[in-house]
Amino acid sequence: MYRLEAPAGDWLDRSRPLRFAFEGREYPGYAGDTISSALAAAGVPFLARSFKYHRPRSILSFADHDSNTLFQVDGVPNVRGDVTWLREGMRVSAINTFGGLAGDKARVLDRFGRLLPVGFYYKAFHGRRLFPRWERMFRALTGLGEVSLNAARQATPKRHGFCDVLVIGAGPSGLSAAMAAADNGASVVLVDEALKISGNGAPPALLAAVRGAASISLRPATVAAGYYADHCVALASLDRLTKMRAKAVVFAGGAIEQPAVFRNNDLPGVMLASGALRLMERHGVAPGRRVVVVAANLEAYEACARLGARGVTVSAIVEWRAAPENGPAAAACIARGIPVIQAHAPYEAIRGPDGTVAGLLAVPVNAAGGVESGAPRRIDCDAILMSVGWAPAAQLLLQAGGRMRFSEALQQFVPQELPPGIFAAGRLNGIYDLESRLGDGRRAGSAAAHVGFSAASRPDAADEPRRPTPPLPTVGFDEELRVGERRPSHPFPIVDHPDGKNFVDFDEDLQVKDLENAAQEGFDSSELLKRYSTVGMGPSQGKHSNMNALRVLARFRGVGVERLGLTTARPMYHPVPMKLLAGRSFHPERRTPIDAQHAALGAVWMPAGNWRRPEYYAVPGESRAESIEAEVHAVRSGVGLIDVGTLGKIEVHGPDAGELLDRVYAGKFSGLKIGMTRYGLMLDESGVIVDDGVIARLAAELYYFTTTTGGSATVFRELLRLNALWGLNCALVNVTGHRAAVNFTGPASRDVLRALTDVDLGDAAFPYLAVRCGDVAGVPARLMRVGFVGELGYEIHVPAGFGPTLWRALYEAGRPRGLRAFGVEAQRVLRLEKGHFIVGQDTDGLTDPFEANAMWAVAMQKPFFVGQRSLKILAARGPRQKLVGVELAETARLPKECHLIIDQGQIAGRITSIARSRALNKSIGLAMLSPELAQVGRDIQIRIEDGGMVGGRVAAAIFYDPENRRQKPGAAA
Amino acid sequence: MPYRLLRFALSRKHPEPRMFTRHDSLKAGYDVVIIGAGGHGLAAAYYLSRDHGIRNVAVLEKGYLGGGNTGRNTTIIRSNYLTPEGVRFYDESVRLWQDLAVDFDLNLFYSTRGHYTLAHTDSAMRTMRWRAEVNKHFGVRSEAVDAAFVKRGIPSIDMSCGGHAPILGALFHEPGAIARHDAVAWGYGRGADRRGVEIHQQTEVTGIRVQGGRVVGVDTTRGHIATSKVLCAVAGFTPRILDMIGLRTPIYVHPLQAMVSEPVKPWLDPIIVSGSLHVYVSQTARGELVMGASLDPYELHSTRSTLDFVEGLSSHMLDLFPFLGDVKVNRQWAGLADMTPDFAPIMGVTPLEGFYLDAGWGTWGFKATPVCGKTMSHTVATGRNHPLIEGFSLDRFAHYRLTGEKGAASVGH
Amino acid sequence: MKIMVCPLNGPRPVAEFAYGGEVRRGPDPDTCSDAEWSDHVFNRSGSPGLKYEWWCHIASGFWFVALRDTTRDAVLATYRADAVRRGLPPAAEETATADAVRRGLPPAGDAT
Repeated sequence: MYRLEAPAGDWLDRSRPLRFAFEGREYPGYAGDTISSALAAAGVPFLARSFKYHRPRSILSFADHDSNTLFQVDGVPNVRGDVTWLREGMRVSAINTFGGLAGDKARVLDRFGRLLPVGFYYKAFHGRRLFPRWERMFRALTGLGEVSLNAARQATPKRHGFCDVLVIGAGPSGLSAAMAAADNGASVVLVDEALKISGNGAPPALLAAVRGAASISLRPATVAAGYYADHCVALASLDRLTKMRAKAVVFAGGAIEQPAVFRNNDLPGVMLASGALRLMERHGVAPGRRVVVVAANLEAYEACARLGARGVTVSAIVEWRAAPENGPAAAACIARGIPVIQAHAPYEAIRGPDGTVAGLLAVPVNAAGGVESGAPRRIDCDAILMSVGWAPAAQLLLQAGGRMRFSEALQQFVPQELPPGIFAAGRLNGIYDLESRLGDGRRAGSAAAHVGFSAASRPDAADEPRRPTPPLPTVGFDEELRVGERRPSHPFPIVDHPDGKNFVDFDEDLQVKDLENAAQEGFDSSELLKRYSTVGMGPSQGKHSNMNALRVLARFRGVGVERLGLTTARPMYHPVPMKLLAGRSFHPERRTPIDAQHAALGAVWMPAGNWRRPEYYAVPGESRAESIEAEVHAVRSGVGLIDVGTLGKIEVHGPDAGELLDRVYAGKFSGLKIGMTRYGLMLDESGVIVDDGVIARLAAELYYFTTTTGGSATVFRELLRLNALWGLNCALVNVTGHRAAVNFTGPASRDVLRALTDVDLGDAAFPYLAVRCGDVAGVPARLMRVGFVGELGYEIHVPAGFGPTLWRALYEAGRPRGLRAFGVEAQRVLRLEKGHFIVGQDTDGLTDPFEANAMWAVAMQKPFFVGQRSLKILAARGPRQKLVGVELAETARLPKECHLIIDQGQIAGRITSIARSRALNKSIGLAMLSPELAQVGRDIQIRIEDGGMVGGRVAAAIFYDPENRRQKPGAAA
Repeated sequence: MPYRLLRFALSRKHPEPRMFTRHDSLKAGYDVVIIGAGGHGLAAAYYLSRDHGIRNVAVLEKGYLGGGNTGRNTTIIRSNYLTPEGVRFYDESVRLWQDLAVDFDLNLFYSTRGHYTLAHTDSAMRTMRWRAEVNKHFGVRSEAVDAAFVKRGIPSIDMSCGGHAPILGALFHEPGAIARHDAVAWGYGRGADRRGVEIHQQTEVTGIRVQGGRVVGVDTTRGHIATSKVLCAVAGFTPRILDMIGLRTPIYVHPLQAMVSEPVKPWLDPIIVSGSLHVYVSQTARGELVMGASLDPYELHSTRSTLDFVEGLSSHMLDLFPFLGDVKVNRQWAGLADMTPDFAPIMGVTPLEGFYLDAGWGTWGFKATPVCGKTMSHTVATGRNHPLIEGFSLDRFAHYRLTGEKGAASVGH
Repeated sequence: MKIMVCPLNGPRPVAEFAYGGEVRRGPDPDTCSDAEWSDHVFNRSGSPGLKYEWWCHIASGFWFVALRDTTRDAVLATYRADAVRRGLPPAAEETATADAVRRGLPPAGDAT
């Protein structure tokens, strides 16, 4: 290959030369080159090594329909050289070589081809002793480009797009469809993966009209990567992902040129004719000086004319078909003096001294369609262009639910049945003549624009939305329109050769015999063939190989291609970088209104669902354990303050509010006195504990209750559902984010609080478990005397905006009494000392109230509550485990949560919570234990980290203040 | 030197016979009919023929061999489960995996890599410790490890997970492995085929004939078969088969999606799972990253792909490994997961005599392929549940005796 | 992504919804046997087909019932939640009030 002189190369800007490096050497290029075109222009003989045999490779499709030209570029792996702009200073190297492209040590594998048939890696290497060594070898050889482990995270934005008609493919039929849709009043988005849109043979006036149309958004360098439900198409461009929602989609992506299969068809210099034309016309690079065209369709002759127009000599046309091509294009070739070798097939490409193609052996085709290999003709050449057929770019059409059938006349799959809102046009629809493609595009675009609109001609459709003109009549699947005189594809462009190396899949280095051998081994359906041979599983996902593979299989099986069926089409059409799919990755985090106060106090954060909460407050000079112990002590001896604002908070209003609570919680709440609270245990239908909280009755028809932090969204949603189902006369409001909440607790808490509130805090006016409303620090508040941590204390709920004010006031007022803010860890210890279980830590996904000793919170006599019927069954079944208290003598080796309790060599349970209690001067915990062992006083053994055993004893779970004296009247000053 | 490869060089004609005989027609009857030629069904056929001398077996497959979930999973093999019955069961499976390639004389690319289940919260660490302790009790090599250990084992990981869910530690499971999923079906299939089992592809079961409370035959699209033993091993299609005999189970079917990257040079040795981010990833022998996430959120009997799946998974992958931005997603697909309420399978005898069930495999079936074959073949041959599967019987739900496998799902504060 | 037509909010991406499972009546807990109750609690109709299902538009907290073809992922009709109490017609092909007509039925689920 070589660079043609100016002005060749429509995309080149020769006034801007570039320099770049490939495999450590400097090369020139121009702005407007792609990496491959610049390398080709520079005459680099080969650009890559193949995946398995490490054979030298160069440009094949020049369209990202193969992986011959994948490069490592500036640390980025698997860059598609054919379709990536060249940039100044790029450092490019080949991938998957050992010791560089030229001296690749692994090229020796090509010689061992006979030993490495299809599936060879399944047949050996699995001996137990040596497999690890072979595995290391395979791992060293495997993979393509290299990941740079210290590349920075790239966050790319995403966009949502909406249009009436999405047209995929800006060739003649796509442009025509877009114009027709726009003429009918539709908003149109037209995408094409080409870096620049040139119309691919469409009339220049049409391209200009599309560019000028206000309602058409024309987007080059945009790949329609996948079709998703309800006409959502992922559009991938260089810098972003656009999620396009259309009312209708026109698939006009054209057809993918298919290679001819003959020995050494993978030599550098053998390429697809359409690729050579793009290389030449866009980038001014000639495929060679003595070009041979292997022809089986009209496109081959049109290619010769275009080559000749740029001064590239075609030294011969090897015409595969028995009958000669007629018509003006062929005549022009003959007039040019290009010899046409009729009824000959390519047999073997000859390798020259520099590893590129130097000649072609052609053999006569016989009457049966086979070849006579006895006396091949040698044609010297330095480039072989293959123009033997096409396969539709139907991947997205299939993903959209389109059904295809195989057209014998066209020798390609064509759409047969399309879901509503989906249209196909052009070569993808089996239409090859240019005028017909334009007409087919107009039809499809017009129909697409009318999706969701009535035909203007219907008399009764007066009030329905309309388009300016009626849709064109549907012609779509007319075989005559499709075929005419044209046969665009050779039915079997595959030539057997005894020495093989006639490649069907260039990505995977698969030859004809590989596929036949796989079929011979029983992998003789298209899916099994793919999985065993890996045909179509490489980076280009079968674009240039699936059709020929199907033909080989069909021949092996002695059936028609139609019988075999296609393998499943899946996104992505071209692979999409993860950065585009990931986007900017928003991770919402919820913070309570008092968050800034915690930060100011040195809070060490921990996640709680998607909230953050203070685990503890770090104090200089104190270790974590010391701080937590000090926080606990402050609560027990004076007063502490904790932000409990992450709890779910729900109000239920209405005459049936109490009834609703009676049904969804295990306890009874309809009879709860106004101004009192009660613990609520929530079960699911199978009787398992799923959540808990405190329920306060503020008025006859108003309850205010809490849920766990993690459960609030699901509980609220389920309550809404049940309320909708039961149709009770009540309404639920989720005020979780509307309220800040703190727990102000300790023997001194009442005393301190008195000065801040007008609420009467005396024991008679405000007994344990009561709820009162009033002002605290000037802020309207709901106060509840609850007992979670076992001290006199008040859970105070205020409107969210007042949270910081409340916190500051309580904090300042409490400081003189030794107040410390306390976090989740301290709270865990405090509640453990009172034996309160935490749902999800001390209970698991199977724990029922019998096992958790929580039957006191269950009112079985109610007419109905969720889980009630199951509890009756569970009562009969008996508990499978019991939640008990555990005491350990103070020991240096404290078990951790989830260390197992072992009895007679069997697992008998586990520790669920554990802590050292300064107040009690021992270590305490909760444990799930098999019922036989769950008696107070029973000794147990706990296995810790190193396998050693620590002794403990089953105890009553209420360790601290078992008689609840701290809550009794007169308990504190 | 793998000398057996020399055979290929020395003969002109490919010297390999068919792995699976193509049978022109069904016989009038078989001793056992297995519905489903996936890994489980073929494994059962293999052990029936190899260990129990039962060869008059037909495996019926409505699509192509291994075309269901066996060919779609993310190939992770481990035994680091939570419950004693689970750990014993999957550990036996891992034991069987070790010798499988040699038994088959087929390379399965069974590769022990080490498996990390990352913990991002205290409650997750607790659960990891629970699993580790139960594992160790049964001699399975798992350990709850701290953040430093994770960083040493996975040097390239971002321990802060994009700054929003820092890794606190993990459950490290040394025996964690991956394998080539298709090859497992081929190996079991060939092994069964060689011993006289008939594998019939493109043969769909349309009905099951019952008389006097026992199975007497199976109707298919290629004719009727008389048999007294039927094993149903069809994963996401289980409810449709069970409708034929009116058997109800808790099984519900949701799609499970997965995706794969282009091949890149190996950089990830262990298998990584993140409980909080709901992602898992490993690198195959071809250098591809195989990635999965959580179940689709609603019931659907279609293997369609969604965009939000690849978006969400890519985002979490970049949280863990921020440098992967330029690695491209090549393909995405899905399978149908037959889920159960306790994340454990449903195996063994059923109220219908002669009808055996191997189902409820959800997202955890591939690793169990060998032990399922072993236990179900025993169960079918003897008519009684193998001891290892007693905890997975269908009637556990009626008795409110669910396994605790999902029991670790914790609700944080 | 897939569009779900919410009776209250109109067409929204399906990620804005929570799936609440099939609408199931269940036996009378006061009169049924333990076996009937455990069947209701645990067993499901797992086969594909037309099903009435609970769906919730998360942001607006709106629960409704959709009749959905669980093979083609097509919603054929939607109902207010209280229709469950009043009694839903047998699950069968209905004149669509939701996305089926407006968008066209989506592709059939492939079995491979």
